[in-house]
Amino acid sequence: MTQYVFRRLISMPLLLLGVATMAFFLSHFTQADPLSALVSERQMGNPEVVAAAKQRWGLDRSMPEQYAIYVKNLVTGDLGVSFRTRRPVLTDIAERLPATLELVIFAMLFGTTSGIVLGVVASRFHDRPADYAARFFALFGSTVPVFWSGLLLLYLFTVKFGLIPGPGRLDARADQPPFVTGMFTLDALLSGQFGTFLDALHHLVLPAFVLGWSVTGIISRLVRASMLDVLGQDYILAARAKGAGEARTLLRHALPNAMIPTLTIVGYSFAYLITGAVLTEAVFAWPGIGSYAVDSARTLDYPAIIGVSLIGATAFLLTNLVTDVAYAYANPRIKLG
Amino acid sequence: MQPKHLDTRVVAARRRAVIVAATMLTSIVAFPTLGSTQNAGKPIVIARDMDLNSLDPSRAFCDTCQIYLSSVYDRLVDLSPDNKSIVPMLAKEWTANSDATVLTFKLDPKATFSDGSQVEAKDVKWTFERLKNIKGGMAYLLDNVKSIETPDKETVVIALTAPNSEFVGSLTAPYAGIINSDAVAEHGGEAGPEASSKDNAEQWLLANSAGAGPYVLESYSPNHELRLKRNDNYWGKKPSVEEFVFLQTKDAVSQTQLLENGSADIAMQVDPTTAKAINNENVIVETAPSFNMVYVAVSPGAKNLPHPLDAKIREAIASAIDYDGIIDLTVDGKGKRLPAPIPNGFPGGGIGEPIKHDVEKAKGLMKEAGAADGFTLAATYPNVNQYGVDYTLMMQKIQQDLAEINIKLELQPVEFSVWREKVNGDGIPLTAVFFAPDYYGSSQYAQYFAMMDGTVWYKRAGGKNDPSLANPETPKLLAAALAAQGEKSGELFGKLAGVLANDRIILPIVSPDAVFVSRKGISGLRFSACCNMVLSDIQAK
Repeated sequence: MTQYVFRRLISMPLLLLGVATMAFFLSHFTQADPLSALVSERQMGNPEVVAAAKQRWGLDRSMPEQYAIYVKNLVTGDLGVSFRTRRPVLTDIAERLPATLELVIFAMLFGTTSGIVLGVVASRFHDRPADYAARFFALFGSTVPVFWSGLLLLYLFTVKFGLIPGPGRLDARADQPPFVTGMFTLDALLSGQFGTFLDALHHLVLPAFVLGWSVTGIISRLVRASMLDVLGQDYILAARAKGAGEARTLLRHALPNAMIPTLTIVGYSFAYLITGAVLTEAVFAWPGIGSYAVDSARTLDYPAIIGVSLIGATAFLLTNLVTDVAYAYANPRIKLG
Repeated sequence: MQPKHLDTRVVAARRRAVIVAATMLTSIVAFPTLGSTQNAGKPIVIARDMDLNSLDPSRAFCDTCQIYLSSVYDRLVDLSPDNKSIVPMLAKEWTANSDATVLTFKLDPKATFSDGSQVEAKDVKWTFERLKNIKGGMAYLLDNVKSIETPDKETVVIALTAPNSEFVGSLTAPYAGIINSDAVAEHGGEAGPEASSKDNAEQWLLANSAGAGPYVLESYSPNHELRLKRNDNYWGKKPSVEEFVFLQTKDAVSQTQLLENGSADIAMQVDPTTAKAINNENVIVETAPSFNMVYVAVSPGAKNLPHPLDAKIREAIASAIDYDGIIDLTVDGKGKRLPAPIPNGFPGGGIGEPIKHDVEKAKGLMKEAGAADGFTLAATYPNVNQYGVDYTLMMQKIQQDLAEINIKLELQPVEFSVWREKVNGDGIPLTAVFFAPDYYGSSQYAQYFAMMDGTVWYKRAGGKNDPSLANPETPKLLAAALAAQGEKSGELFGKLAGVLANDRIILPIVSPDAVFVSRKGISGLRFSACCNMVLSDIQAK
């Protein structure tokens, strides 16, 4: 097992270099003007100003030269400076990643828990009203676009009923907790700011629900299908014959076995949400990696685009590894090698 | 069978668990929104889609930059609330020689930077030289500066290469804000001829400010939040609001939601249609004329044109557009038409009548140009909502209007960066974009739109390949207008505006009104031609 993990870890830098190379050339071949974030419209007629901007940002060099410089800097951990924010990409990512992680963790907690509960309920009450209701809720969550459900829920709970604060991570008038992890809920608790913790949590409720809802849909359907399969097995019949109660049969005997295929989806969903929370972040003005990626793509901010691609790739590689290891633990028949 | 008392315990435990869970959930969901309960003494929150690209006065160029820089960096001169008169700021007085080529500014000895040090002539020289030599966003403001002398620490003498009656006015631009040269030089600032490659102060200026304005930078997180706090050492009249927070809020609907639930105090980019839908007695909607301009541009030099876009065709296009219909459709009638690509109220702006919507005339012109059967034009435009105008909506209406004269527009909404690549590359036959002034003055319009060598739109219109597009009148008129003073200058700019309008390359569609949406108790919101919105004027109860 250790050897397997080690082999996977040492292959990561090569895979990341491949991702960086792809992102570099794809973004450079895009028919868009990287100077749009660097030179004002007014100055586009001034060749001296255009030349100075190109020189400052290395855009006057040939593409292979730019690539060589990028890779050389990448090896030392330098992801370059963003054209748009004018700050090191690493600083931008370090500032925004905790916001996305916090949102994704809460979304996954909600999505996984509700998905499993709904899946179990749906399988237990197979083809009965509870099953239909659970399936409808799950289907709705995975098919309704976030920009619609997000805006609608924001309107209802923020404007109409005033129960939930508006977009953002924290009320702009509240004091931010001292930086420890960058996750406001955790940092607030660590610093003993309970009011700030509640405010941060309050801001998280809606975006985490909207983002997690799509996961609920996927997981509940998978759990339902697996549970229906498992509930028909002989050992379940044997458990019931031995007098095990319904709850014990479902939760102790059926669910652990039905959960094995779900693990893959949970791992995949976590990585997917880190890079795929774009719309949720846009609707809820959440200053995370997703909105950073969108803004960078719109302005053809090469260093930021490549930086975000690397973060996304790292998230996928690590969660895949963790999922594989968890899979092996959950099912002793699987041997990693 | 389990004993009965055990069942009772289990049920009681479950009940307790349900009660605890319900209490926790209620406390999260029903926890009162801080915004609605804790306004007093707290910062004023402005919901805005921030387009900040830098906080360095020599490198920034954007609408939010104008607000930030004008609040943090005082300039030599300011624009008064009438949006016309130039008034003293760091310079208590100034004089010009007879042909306005040498200007002498006397600094106010009371003026200090936020660190308490005095604003001196050397700071002005360093700031202007840096702005020019960095070759950044707004270096064009100092294009015709020949030299800057500092005979003593309170006197700055600026010599120009040619007379320029608008030069003093151009120094009201926020990008001409005076920088504390010692502080910035200490952190990599460079003003010499090599500044474009040697200056390294931008990153320091993203976290610190070094101006003499009423506010200082407290913190900045790109595309998330910008915090300004009052400069307690401010040498002028102290503003009443202690702290402002700009909160990144992408669209008008989200901005309105924040305002309505008390999380924001001011929203700045709410379009008239969204503003009309606000039904909340605690929210106030005000409109004021702006100097922003939304326009269509026709490029005769674009590649692969199906028919030459000659003067007659351009006149036909200009006549076929239903301008009033577009204003009603896009900004609910809250906007003004412009006779020329110079805003009403600026020198030479607003003179004469805007072109009339006349489909019959347009059809006649198409026939005269041998294009009665029409043709198809690619119309690539930035997919934005700028100054309250939804560009897709506007372009769809123009598509409908031009269809009446058999010009079929193929609409291609794209990102701004893609639009820039296209418009500066092969050119776009018909497009739409926007313009906002940097200061009160009309030369900036001529220098950008006029059909003369060196302007952005001359190149985009195809002037490089077709020099006949150049209007020989334009540079002469511009030079004469800049050499003249007062009414005479305005008259010459009026003629220049007529030339720009008659080229029919730039077709102004609308100058949308600025919409200010705020909570009750906020006052002092106004649109400034140089600075967008003046934070130090804002008051809050």
